[in-house]
Amino acid sequence: MKKRALALTMATAMVLTTACSGGGGSQTDTTAAAAAETAADTEAAGGEEASAGTEASGEPVTIQVANYALLEAGYDTFWEGVKTGFEEKYPNVTIEWVTAPYGDILNQVINMAGGGDRVDCIFSEMIWIPSLVDAGLAAPLDEVLDEDFLNDYYPNVLEAHSVDGKVYGAPLYISPFVLFYNKDLFEQAGLDPENPPTTYDELLEVAPKLAALTTEDGNKVYAFGQPTASVAVVGSSLQSFAMNFGGTLFDENNQFNVDNQGFTDAMNMLQQLDELGYNPQNTKPKDLRNLFALGQLAMYYDNTWGFNGVTSINPEAANFAATAMPLSGGSGDGQVTLQSHCFVAVDNGEAQLEAVKNFIQYVISPEVLEDYLANIAPAYAAKGAMEDMDAIVNNEFLQGGQGAIEKAVPVYQFPTLNDFNLELCALGQAITVGKEDVATAIEGFKSSVQSILP
Amino acid sequence: MNRTGTRILGKNRHTTDKLFSLALLLPAIFITCAFILVPIVDSIYRSFLDYRVRNIINNEPGVWNNFQNYLNLFSNGKLLPSMKNTLIFVFGVVIAQFILGMALALVLNTGIKGSRFIRSIMMVPWVVPTLISGLVWMWMFQAQYGLVKYLVDVVTGGRVTDFAILNNPATAMFGVSCAALWKQIPLATLLLLAGLANVPDDMLEAAKMDGANAVQRFFFITLPYMKSVIKVTVTMSIIENFKQFPLFWTMTGGGPNNSTTTMAILSYREAFVSNNFGSGAAVTTVWMLMMVVVVFIFNRIFRNTDM
Repeated sequence: MKKRALALTMATAMVLTTACSGGGGSQTDTTAAAAAETAADTEAAGGEEASAGTEASGEPVTIQVANYALLEAGYDTFWEGVKTGFEEKYPNVTIEWVTAPYGDILNQVINMAGGGDRVDCIFSEMIWIPSLVDAGLAAPLDEVLDEDFLNDYYPNVLEAHSVDGKVYGAPLYISPFVLFYNKDLFEQAGLDPENPPTTYDELLEVAPKLAALTTEDGNKVYAFGQPTASVAVVGSSLQSFAMNFGGTLFDENNQFNVDNQGFTDAMNMLQQLDELGYNPQNTKPKDLRNLFALGQLAMYYDNTWGFNGVTSINPEAANFAATAMPLSGGSGDGQVTLQSHCFVAVDNGEAQLEAVKNFIQYVISPEVLEDYLANIAPAYAAKGAMEDMDAIVNNEFLQGGQGAIEKAVPVYQFPTLNDFNLELCALGQAITVGKEDVATAIEGFKSSVQSILP
Repeated sequence: MNRTGTRILGKNRHTTDKLFSLALLLPAIFITCAFILVPIVDSIYRSFLDYRVRNIINNEPGVWNNFQNYLNLFSNGKLLPSMKNTLIFVFGVVIAQFILGMALALVLNTGIKGSRFIRSIMMVPWVVPTLISGLVWMWMFQAQYGLVKYLVDVVTGGRVTDFAILNNPATAMFGVSCAALWKQIPLATLLLLAGLANVPDDMLEAAKMDGANAVQRFFFITLPYMKSVIKVTVTMSIIENFKQFPLFWTMTGGGPNNSTTTMAILSYREAFVSNNFGSGAAVTTVWMLMMVVVVFIFNRIFRNTDM
């Protein structure tokens, strides 16, 4: 009998403990589960719940800001400084970071919202905006920010951060995909380091000389790098690559259309660069940064803040790295897509929105970003108030690619853009490592994206 | 006590035992229903709906969309290649894992010098989180500066300088399988080693005296006695590899050219990249049916496990 009672008690205990383990409710993870296998693994860790009902501006308000950069070396110190500075200026507002690794933060924010816990602000990639809008999380910024502040942005920048004519992202800074090149390797190859190629034809002329080089330890030097690995932001880079040739993926009515010569020319060039062995195959941006930092890559496309990744691997790279205008090919004139790091606001009530407005306008100011742009992540100004900043005007590294901003074309933003970009990566892989014929691969691409088009 | 009284007492005890058994089973039944059956039914239901992130966040019900999620999956040409990739991966890894795990178990069972140490050290890959394993193998296989590329270069005397297993659509699946095997073989070995302990020595000795050679003893005595352990080991391996996601996502992201896009990757992309939970649920439903069919066939093959 005793055994039976014990068994019954243990069975009951099992049910109770299992039921209790599902708890956690709407607590917030503020401790950065860096090794989380998926965003869903991230557990709550007891944050103070935001006081959404606070109305008076002097009353304490806590805003949750989702920010993956806090987990990245080189950026964490800046963001902790932002928190300190902002809380000193607005003593009634407390910033509570919500963090997750770069690849998980978007799902983290969406999963939290699904559980009823909506963050107040997101430090976002530009390409995440449509997903956040589609999820109903992003608030139109004309209802959040001061009119003067918003109108100070350049028109093409605002357009790039808009969905259906409404602005949802406030960029801190911007960068097109510009050409990074290694001046030392150019010198070693007998080329003029002050005159990098401006067209793909010129690239094909200088590439053999660069590809003939080896590093001191005998490693191969690649002439040119265009990433094609399966990462959403690589899809944006490939869109930019197509634009270099005047290629488009959507027509003026935002209808999917890749039946244009520019797009085909771009894919042919990608295949040619691969066949000639100039382009390291199937790489991510961080692979190219590694190769560039180690002197194994002469040129590649990146956003200017990629400089931080390069110098964190090899500080000496600052001495040889320079930017240049994106190359033009075919009938194109080197147009590019724009990328940014931006803030997206979430409407959690008047008091929260007011605090978020102050936070965004505090961070996006020359005073706060001067040091960041000078020493951490060089980038171009997104608005008039920042165009004369020393960190931008006197930054030698940025000079070569400066003109690319004028050639920046907004990318059509739609909810499945990230998945669309991954399919574009698959196209890039099909014509390079997959050795598929360009026309066949493009047909396959057209078929695979049909179900995710807006 | 007469015979009728004994019978009644026996009947009462039988009923009490049944009730007690039921009481013990209830928690398991409750947990299975609440945490397994209900989510499965819910997922199948949502696979017929247009159900996206905004539905969850705004607490809006999904809308019936006339099997559109399934129609899209079949029309965009993604489902069948993903099913094929999943089956290739599962069968390849399960078979290789069993052969290598059994070989290791047999070696360790001979009691060679240092076998205790090897048993301890070989569990390390199993303990490492799958995500970390994926990252380590991704860097090792990295095409431009990875360790494996360097080793192949050295071993071949500089004849193969561009070894890139994850970059070739024909070999990428093999690359991910290597990582999966590295991680999973230790557990399989440990389970099979435990199974080897159940093989009676006297039977092996008798067979040896009757003239059976080592191969005959292995196939006609060792393997049949290990049938139940093998069944458990292989079933666990099938399930583990059917739902393998982190290795693929970290090492290849489903590429190159979708050559490693399995059902797990497809499901994740539909649900969490496109934020279309209805479509993700449709993939999951097909995926689950596949797993049920494979495990059912496997169980039919291994129906008689009693020795």
